[in-house]
Amino acid sequence: MKKYLAMILAMVMVLALAACGSAAPAASEQAPAGDSGKTVKIGVLVADVSGEEALGFANYYRNYIQSNYNVEFSYTEQLADAAAEKAAIEKFAAQGYDAIISFSASDRATQLQTCIDNGLYYAVASGMLDDAQYEQFKTSEYFVGQIGPSMDTEYEAGYAMGKYFADQGAKKIAMYGAFIPNPMHVFRAAGVLAGIGATYGGASEKDAIVGQIFADQGIDLKKVESKDVELAGYFQGFGDTTFDELFACIGAQPDAFLSVGMATTFFTQNLNDAGIAFSDIDSFTSANGEAMADGKLVYLAGKYSSSIGPVFAAVLNAVNGTPVRDDEGNAISLSQDYLVATDADSFQKYAAADQGDSPIFSKEVLDTIIGDVSYADFSAAVAADRG
Amino acid sequence: MDSKTALLKKYKRRQRLVTVLPFVALAVLFAVLCLTVQAKGYRLPMYLKILLNEGVVLAIVATGATFIYTLGSFDISLGASTLFSATVGVMVYNATGNFGLMLLAIFGVAIGCSLLSSVLASVFHIPVFVTTVAMMSVLSAVAAQIITANGGALGGISIPAEVVRPFDVMWFKILVLTVFFAVCMFLFDYTKLGRRQKFLGGNPVCAKLTGIDLNKYAILAFIMAGIGVGIGAFLTLVYTPSVTTGTAGSIGMNILVAIVFGGMPISGGPRSKIYAAVVGGFSYIILNNILKILIDSNAGYGISQIVSAVFFLAVVYVTGMNYRSQLLPR
Repeated sequence: MKKYLAMILAMVMVLALAACGSAAPAASEQAPAGDSGKTVKIGVLVADVSGEEALGFANYYRNYIQSNYNVEFSYTEQLADAAAEKAAIEKFAAQGYDAIISFSASDRATQLQTCIDNGLYYAVASGMLDDAQYEQFKTSEYFVGQIGPSMDTEYEAGYAMGKYFADQGAKKIAMYGAFIPNPMHVFRAAGVLAGIGATYGGASEKDAIVGQIFADQGIDLKKVESKDVELAGYFQGFGDTTFDELFACIGAQPDAFLSVGMATTFFTQNLNDAGIAFSDIDSFTSANGEAMADGKLVYLAGKYSSSIGPVFAAVLNAVNGTPVRDDEGNAISLSQDYLVATDADSFQKYAAADQGDSPIFSKEVLDTIIGDVSYADFSAAVAADRG
Repeated sequence: MDSKTALLKKYKRRQRLVTVLPFVALAVLFAVLCLTVQAKGYRLPMYLKILLNEGVVLAIVATGATFIYTLGSFDISLGASTLFSATVGVMVYNATGNFGLMLLAIFGVAIGCSLLSSVLASVFHIPVFVTTVAMMSVLSAVAAQIITANGGALGGISIPAEVVRPFDVMWFKILVLTVFFAVCMFLFDYTKLGRRQKFLGGNPVCAKLTGIDLNKYAILAFIMAGIGVGIGAFLTLVYTPSVTTGTAGSIGMNILVAIVFGGMPISGGPRSKIYAAVVGGFSYIILNNILKILIDSNAGYGISQIVSAVFFLAVVYVTGMNYRSQLLPR
């Protein structure tokens, strides 16, 4: 009898819990975070909490931005799926946050819809919505915008890297596909193939190559045809056989090892030891600087930590009631290009320009795009080459 | 005689304590959460809604899985099964545009996968745990293949949000949880299905000698688990109408944690309790949320998981007190 009484009590508790929860948050509960001196609270959704690039971004927001503006950032733990993203947003809403900046991409449409439902401003700082999603949400007042490398930019970054080595006279290359089918890596890999003048399954156009890589879940060497540059080895992912695959590629004695991501994290020592020139699409970190100065890293397309400054500025403007919109009232959609270093000097130029206490998007620069700013001025500031 | 009576009294006291403890823990955790949220100035109603959303899928899938655990078996593939069922459901909806067919596909696949594990174990006479490990790998891989091949640049597959949005309301989720729990409780506590499963879990040799067919009750247990997985997969889609390779990834292990938090022994048998999954599931979710509120996310990743793990060990120790008795369970 006691057991069932306890069960009934538990069910009542669950029901009470739900009944309380069914009350939607009233919009009026949120005090406007304008110029009143109230700290603006921004939640940050992240899917990567340990990569050098992710840590650089986090340091920029937590250490530099937070100490220069009346703003508070709170990072999520590693978000594994769309449900975790949605729950994280709902918790930020429950905690009275003003806005969300997203680096997590399991389901951007649901993220955005959840923000709209909870009256939170939302911006994408890594990757972009697809065209259909942008069209669906671009007029929402809560959609601040998206600023970061688009998939076209990812393709172009891969293309430029492939073409660089082809122009340098490489005849035989090996390639690391990182975490294909991660879309970002797929587009970069497709760009590399096009950049070295290769076709994939007979296709030479971006969309066709990308589509086939998605379908194949990787790159099938038998489908790669190239007149000038031979793709002698390919592997992707990271697991028990990764280093065997790497050594097989090294054994093929390629002129260069091209990576579409993470090679500098995993393979720098091995490639330096093997004396094989390599490239990557990553970020301007100190470890990569050493690899370029003293090792065999000869090409790096990278982001810098403060490249996420404009997203913060856009969010702050929206929270403060001066959102940046284009002429038609749509949310911001700006692609950011990668910076490319091909030697230690060019690397240092970018790295030195983006130090922790004097970042490229410093307070002085950000102040020019915070406040009542036109879309043209905002996009010009984002596009300016500050290297 | 006196010493035996004293021993029996002591045993019964401990058993009462262990029975009541999960409910007390749930109530205490719930109170702590409410106080913490209020103290922090957060919105309690929203937090409670979040708790229900986070706990309902776990509670339902774990309640179905209780039938398997009662037999002393262990199914680690339930998370992968949830992912695969949701994946097939999305594919069917996108191919047909028919909501009914989507539901049919979700439940068909969920029950089918569950039965396959059971049948493989019966046919090849290998432990169910082994077949479910294999099923977990296979289902995850196939689902990942479908998702990545069809998800393209979005990295996931989805159905239009408006299809499931009408169901993303609290009363519906509460209703589903209540009905499923009531059915499971009836089967578990008031029919020979539950009694025989407890008998099989406690002493399979005696159960077999009394004419109880293990295979039959194993299959029934897996059917119940499959229904739970199907409901879980549907509610997962209701919450977020998209499926990625990471969807439901943590459910498999969380079921284990929920059942232990609820005061049920992993070894199954007569001490199994149908309410353990619901009580334990919500306790676990509430504990996690308390820790995340109290531990600043900027202080370091994973701290809340460590604290949660320590708490888990403590619960296992306390709830295991009466298993170390010299008396048979009663």
